[in-house]
Amino acid sequence: MANITKKVSWSSRADESSAAGEATPLINGSEKRQHDGEVRGAVFQTGRLSNVDLEEITSDEESHRGHPKEIPHNEKLLSLKYESLDYDNIENQLFLEEERRMSYLGFRCLEISRWVICGLIGFLTGLIACFIDIVVEQLAGMKYQVVKENIDRFTEVGGLSLSLILWAVLNSAFVVVGAIIVAFFEPIAAGSGIPQIKCYLNGVKVPRVVRLKTLVVKVCGVICSVVGGLAVGKEGPMIHSGAVVAAGVSQGRSTSLKRDFKIFEYFRRDTEKRDFVSAGAAAGVSAAFGAPVGGVLFSLEEGASFWNQMLTWRIFFASMISTFTLNFFLSIYHNNPGDLSNPGLINFGRFENDSVAYYLYEIPLFIAMGAIGGLLGALFNILNYWLTIFRIRYVHRPCLQVMEAMLVAAVTATVSFTMIYFSDDCQPLGPEHTEEYPLQLFCADGEYNSMATAFFNTPERSVRSLFHNQPGSYNPLTLGLFTLTYFFLACWTYGLTVSAGVFIPSLLIGAAWGRLCGILLSAISATGSIWADPGKYALIGAAAQLGGIVRMTLSLTVIMVEATGNVTYGLPIMLVLMTAKIVGDYFVEGLYDIHIKLQSIPFLHWEAPATSHWLTAREVMSSSVTCLNKVEKVGTIVDILSNTSTNHNGFPVVVSQSDSAKLCGLILRSQLIVLLKHKVFVELARSRLTQRKLQLKDFRDAYPRFPPIQSIHVSQDERECLMDLSEFMNPTPYTVPQETSLPRVFKLVRALGLRHLVVVDDENRVVGLVTRKDLARYHLGKHGLEELQLAQT
Amino acid sequence: MPLYHQYVFLTVWVLCVCAVASSEGANVNLSVSVESPVLKPAAVEEDSSAPFLLLSAFPDDLEVSDYCSELLRIFGQRYVAYVNCLVPSARPVKVCQNCFGAYGSLVATYMNISSEQLGPGNESCRDSLLRSDRLMLVYLLFNNLKDLWTKSACDKCINDRFQSLTNDTLYFMSSLNQTLTCFDRYQQGNHTELCKNCKSAYKGLNELYSSMEKNDSMCIDIEDGMNMTRRLWSKNFKCSFPREETVPVIAVSGFMLFLPIIFYLSSFLHSEQKKRKLIHPKRAKSYASSLMNIQDKQS
Repeated sequence: MANITKKVSWSSRADESSAAGEATPLINGSEKRQHDGEVRGAVFQTGRLSNVDLEEITSDEESHRGHPKEIPHNEKLLSLKYESLDYDNIENQLFLEEERRMSYLGFRCLEISRWVICGLIGFLTGLIACFIDIVVEQLAGMKYQVVKENIDRFTEVGGLSLSLILWAVLNSAFVVVGAIIVAFFEPIAAGSGIPQIKCYLNGVKVPRVVRLKTLVVKVCGVICSVVGGLAVGKEGPMIHSGAVVAAGVSQGRSTSLKRDFKIFEYFRRDTEKRDFVSAGAAAGVSAAFGAPVGGVLFSLEEGASFWNQMLTWRIFFASMISTFTLNFFLSIYHNNPGDLSNPGLINFGRFENDSVAYYLYEIPLFIAMGAIGGLLGALFNILNYWLTIFRIRYVHRPCLQVMEAMLVAAVTATVSFTMIYFSDDCQPLGPEHTEEYPLQLFCADGEYNSMATAFFNTPERSVRSLFHNQPGSYNPLTLGLFTLTYFFLACWTYGLTVSAGVFIPSLLIGAAWGRLCGILLSAISATGSIWADPGKYALIGAAAQLGGIVRMTLSLTVIMVEATGNVTYGLPIMLVLMTAKIVGDYFVEGLYDIHIKLQSIPFLHWEAPATSHWLTAREVMSSSVTCLNKVEKVGTIVDILSNTSTNHNGFPVVVSQSDSAKLCGLILRSQLIVLLKHKVFVELARSRLTQRKLQLKDFRDAYPRFPPIQSIHVSQDERECLMDLSEFMNPTPYTVPQETSLPRVFKLVRALGLRHLVVVDDENRVVGLVTRKDLARYHLGKHGLEELQLAQT
Repeated sequence: MPLYHQYVFLTVWVLCVCAVASSEGANVNLSVSVESPVLKPAAVEEDSSAPFLLLSAFPDDLEVSDYCSELLRIFGQRYVAYVNCLVPSARPVKVCQNCFGAYGSLVATYMNISSEQLGPGNESCRDSLLRSDRLMLVYLLFNNLKDLWTKSACDKCINDRFQSLTNDTLYFMSSLNQTLTCFDRYQQGNHTELCKNCKSAYKGLNELYSSMEKNDSMCIDIEDGMNMTRRLWSKNFKCSFPREETVPVIAVSGFMLFLPIIFYLSSFLHSEQKKRKLIHPKRAKSYASSLMNIQDKQS
């Protein structure tokens, strides 16, 4: 009895096959129409579920095929696939009893274990970052060495087109591996993962986003795509990895590996898990950029609904530990153990003291650069938006996705090679060998091809050399061409089915045009020596471009400041990011928000849309709510739960008095399933007095993968039994009257992380239910308030 | 014994000072010696070389001993010798091969000065010569040259104890000479001839250089020699590789760039477009009417 996992088939397979059943609407009161055979069969196997529909026309769904209600995918949809997380504690009797039993000492222990978990999260995240870094460095080093030797040989004897093919094939090979594991094993691991983590912290349960399998695929995938020479970075995936680590560690078990360590059981619920996930995301940022404070601010900016001082302090602890771990292991790897001063996966390097100087008259220039960054960022986002729509509509089969990734890899190599081949920009080799893989090609002996430092390198190194190389190591034409090609390559690459981040490519594009600006400025004013350092402008350009694309503000400023290790640049970077955001927002949203929208995720922003005050709860809510009685027949419950057309997750519990049914509580689908599983029926309790009472532990054991209703067998006899819900339901659900305005409802749901908000009339009768999707569908479009439509995806 | 060079320098300086404002100079000197007795030895050293100055010689126990003065004199001589050797070797750089001997003897003298060992008369010149004053001239002078030496990485080409050049260096120099003589021989007339005939020598030299680069056994002489040779080879004689495979490279990259176009076109034409099925949410009855009113209310 201790471990339910043993008894039910909780495997992911079972749960996928019932995706239509489980991964569904939290909207109570919405019914959905099933169109079999139309949707991807792999995900939806709705056929085997019984379609017991009450009122609507599911039987003649065939006739609906050509119905205009089927529209091409666009951004104005909300998917039914996404549920809310239960951030609000279910304060039922069991919970209260347990809390009351716990002594002061018990709470102290919990607090301590929270700290321990945060430490572990930081440690493991740092280890993963270290692993990725080392493997990428080794593999990329090998690849570039092979290609370089090949190019050197063929420059002499002829046949450089063979080198080109070799390079393209090597790239494609790595990328194909990465794309296959992502496309076929864990599609959620595609992309940077930041949008998904943002959604998770926002309260959306993105299926499979924090699983161990996702982590493995993510790590391998990012290694493959970076080594494969795509225009990507490994920083975004680090954040996702940190989040997965956090979600795993805090639960003290792995459902995928079927191991339960029997620790941290108290934390097996969404509220606690969210806090740890935000710590994990922070640890990821901190490992990626060597920016612990930036990490904390990132998870506050993107995730937390309200500021919790103790939580923030714990998050900071996790971030610090993560940076420390990464430093420590990298120092061992670099053969000077104990040197902890070289943090971050991407290390922008220290700016020399004389080059950090900036003067008042440069501020307008920085702001102008911010505006350019905003414009270019908006262009990037718009292009990527169209590309992503195309991809969702037409390139949705896994094999096509793999093929696309392969082609992008090959083209990236080709373009890079052509650029290098036709570049006439030769620079003398520096004494300290900053160029890792200098390509000579047609340059004079003792010189290297300057274009090759930008293209024939991992993106991080390119960024660093753009920041720090001597003035004069690039000529303007090289930088211009590089910016242009890399801009389109990066834009094309983001959104492929490989796990890869957009941070580094953005920085690289920005650094290239920023450096170009610096060079041009110093060319214009021949006298001023202050203009002479193009590295400074490269940094500002990088900040502007990144800000223009992702539109983060506070955390990005701090991350940039920390990654350069130079607080002197705080002001210009802040100004630049502000300008970039203002300019960019005029045209289009940030890249992450675009992708969240395109995935039809019901994301709640900070505030309700500005012009929504005239809407009230009555108009917002879903109505005709399926309610349960306090003592309900098992058969009724089973029927309601297995009705695929009304796949609700929360059910108001009512007591019928004379003619009216008054609200007395709220119960969740997951709780009902556990109750059914354990057969907590009134009749059985009477007959077996000795039966063990159901405890909170039983619910926790089932968390987070509750079995689908189909896997629970209820016999005919049992259907006639009764179930007493009073002990398990949440007797104090949040309710609002019908006249409550939308912003007020919104605030309540957003701030408290509610999943269901019951709308009642003046006699406390249930009239409707407000859920995340009811609120998320309003958004401010070009023509005022618009409403998103619900759709099956 | 006074130092000759310093003597001359100081004399000039003193004369100038005296000519401009002799009283002022005296005041400065006096005030320093009065204010901070610690610095007295410095004043001693300076002024002892100018006996006709305001202060006569310091008492014996503050004087630099004969032994130390002798050391200082030798140091000066060797210093001059080394610098005299360095300057003519500046271009083309031969500072290591020409001057390692001079540097060796300079280092030896400096070692003597700075050693803890007590000389005759139980005294250490280290304190009196090296760190009695703020300027620490001897130390500064030596350090400049030492920096120069480190910067030119001459240690890599010289055996320990500054005996001779390493075998590697000698070998490199000989093959460098070979290459240069080859260049000389074919310099007249067509350079293609040169490129062809000297290629093996040049290539051998290049490889030797790369191997030494890996061992990290190069000094500035070798680097400069190689740089010059490379410049001759690539810039003057234009023997670098020509860019002559433009057509195949363009063909291959054109093909590669063509692939994605085909891919996207075919997936656009052949892949069925993904459609989404809309779902009507259940709303309260009044909702429908209110939805109608959205536009009205908005406007």
